[in-house]
Amino acid sequence: MSKPVIALFPEASFGSALNCVGIAQQLLREGAVPVFLCHPGFNGVFAEYGFREYQLPATAAPGPQTDETWQDFVTAHVAHFNQDPTAQLSTYVAPTWEAIVDTAMQAEEGLERLLKRIKPAGIVLDNVIMFPAIANAGMPWVRVVSCTETEIPDENVPPYLSGMAADDPARPEFEAAYLAATQAAHRRYNAFRRDCGLSALPQGQFLEASPRLNLLLAPSAIRHSRRTPLPAERFVFLEGCVRKEAQFDPPPLPVNEGPLIYVSFGSLGAIDTDLISRMLRTFAQYPARFFVNVGAFLESYSKVPDNVFLGSWFPQPSIVSQADLFVHHGGNNSFCEAMFFGVPSLIMPYCWDGHDNATRAEQTGTGAHMHRDDWSPQELAGRMTALLADDVMLTRLRQISVRMQATPGTQQAARSILKVL
Amino acid sequence: MMPVSRSNTRQNHFKLARQITEIVLERGFAEGDHLPEAMLSQACGVSRTPVRSAFKILEDKNIVRRREEGGYVLNQPPEKVAADSAAVPDDMEGSLAERILSDRAERRIADVHSVSALSRRYSSSRSSVLNALKILSSDGIVTQLPGRAWAFQPMLDTPNAVDESLAFRLVLEPQAILATGFQVDSQKIGIMRQQTEEFLQRPDGKLSSATFLHLDCAFHSFIAESSGNRFARGVLLAHQRLRLSTQKDVSIADFRLRQSLQEHLGILDSLERMQLQLAADQMVLHLRRSQIRKPQAISRGFRPPGLGVAP
Repeated sequence: MSKPVIALFPEASFGSALNCVGIAQQLLREGAVPVFLCHPGFNGVFAEYGFREYQLPATAAPGPQTDETWQDFVTAHVAHFNQDPTAQLSTYVAPTWEAIVDTAMQAEEGLERLLKRIKPAGIVLDNVIMFPAIANAGMPWVRVVSCTETEIPDENVPPYLSGMAADDPARPEFEAAYLAATQAAHRRYNAFRRDCGLSALPQGQFLEASPRLNLLLAPSAIRHSRRTPLPAERFVFLEGCVRKEAQFDPPPLPVNEGPLIYVSFGSLGAIDTDLISRMLRTFAQYPARFFVNVGAFLESYSKVPDNVFLGSWFPQPSIVSQADLFVHHGGNNSFCEAMFFGVPSLIMPYCWDGHDNATRAEQTGTGAHMHRDDWSPQELAGRMTALLADDVMLTRLRQISVRMQATPGTQQAARSILKVL
Repeated sequence: MMPVSRSNTRQNHFKLARQITEIVLERGFAEGDHLPEAMLSQACGVSRTPVRSAFKILEDKNIVRRREEGGYVLNQPPEKVAADSAAVPDDMEGSLAERILSDRAERRIADVHSVSALSRRYSSSRSSVLNALKILSSDGIVTQLPGRAWAFQPMLDTPNAVDESLAFRLVLEPQAILATGFQVDSQKIGIMRQQTEEFLQRPDGKLSSATFLHLDCAFHSFIAESSGNRFARGVLLAHQRLRLSTQKDVSIADFRLRQSLQEHLGILDSLERMQLQLAADQMVLHLRRSQIRKPQAISRGFRPPGLGVAP
């Protein structure tokens, strides 16, 4: 019998892309042939891990992503990242949903052609929106929720992107504001769905649950207790989804003492070089070794302190496994990797589910929440010291780590996928 | 050829001592284990004499000790070796050169510096700093400006610089193979093949990027050395020295590391058979594959190319 070809289609963000790499590595070990459908400009990412890539053709004006267009994005949004989740609904969330809808519409034709050509046994969709070509392809598809669990609503689960507790009295106002902010994009998307022969989705929703299998990257340590439990035969919770990555040997620094603190706000967070420069000035006075991911902006920095190492990319699982503290933006992959290796998180969220994870880290004693921009050097140093010295949290995280590593999510995911195809 | 000064030789021994500690750590030697000279000389691609000199440096630092029956054993647990080896060439000019270079590559010091500013930063005498700068200038890493200042030359310290390096090598390396007079040393090919195959036998997650860089630079330097074109030879060798000293690329996944080394083996096969046109084509493919890099800036909400920024 020939090996089943499974097409993984992650969103064009590193979080879901690398989450899918972890699943694909395990699918390969389980005897399947994982291949990737990738967005324009994303090619090479999966080939570097040894997977075949099929690039979606760009149907709009040609041209690779340039520094200028990225700079426009930065200029448009960097100020919005200091706003609270409610204020971000109109400044960031609404235009982002518009862009996501554009992406889905733009991809449709090419995706349909690609799926006809590849004829996979199944499709794994790690995204926040449905691509009608997938639902119409006539083959089983699996939904991966690599964002936080709040993406699947429930009365006991905080509203998606709110950063609230589930019982926050302001919940109804936030939910109403979310629906209002996403209304235009949602209307446009539903019209597109109807054109493609799919039924409309309820207000505020852009992706339905898969009738076969849904995988949620939500380790038991932070999982919510739902009012309406999700049916276990279709919804599988993953204890982390950590890929195999290259080994990172931290180079010795001119001042090479103290705990190892890894700082990464993802490729989006790296845009705020002023903020990171301010953090570096605080780090210079702090007795620890800092490894800081500055993404595409390495050339924006000079006079790097002697206890700091800047990189444009780190093999994150390797460096997190060696870290004493992980300062990040609350991306779900980063938060889960921190727990997988038993490392406390200091979450300084920018947007999206970063707010939800920051609140959840506080609620579950797996980390702390801090505003990304509104802090004094003493406050930042104080937070780091408190987390490094919190033995109760560390003990809890070690237990979580043991549990997560005993039931790796990549294996759970791969086996569940193969079972339903 | 530039004469090798005593300080350069000493500096090479320090480099070798560091390389030996890396190999010892990577291959999982434990405290008390014998460190076979022959294996280390082969792994480092040098004769046994410099290995012995490097052992003496490590002995001074208590990292290894001499056995009564001959040879050296590891004198510390591996964790301590890792910490102590960082300080191996301390208080020497070679070490100072390395520290300056490392600080520059990690963006700690500016493009242009005076000897006195560096002497303050490193608490070293002016003459030590000057000697260190001379060592760096022999590799083209710094240049003395008119007056007293020294300027650092471009390094492979950012993804953009690595891209430009690959584009430059893509122009020259295939031509270095095709130039009349290309000659290979089959003994060296044998050593290189063995080192590469040994590295490839390591499991995923244990492929050190530092060792990969050593192997990669050694391979491409070998191509340069073998070229019949003296200018291509000189320029490419200098560039590989610059790569070895300043490239801090840790972003390569295990799969690509292995694929890249398999490509080296394929090129070596073609060179041994003197199929130079094929080897040059394989080199183009190898460098082009290395040019494919991760996107630097992506995010949910960043619109597809051509649609502009979200309103």
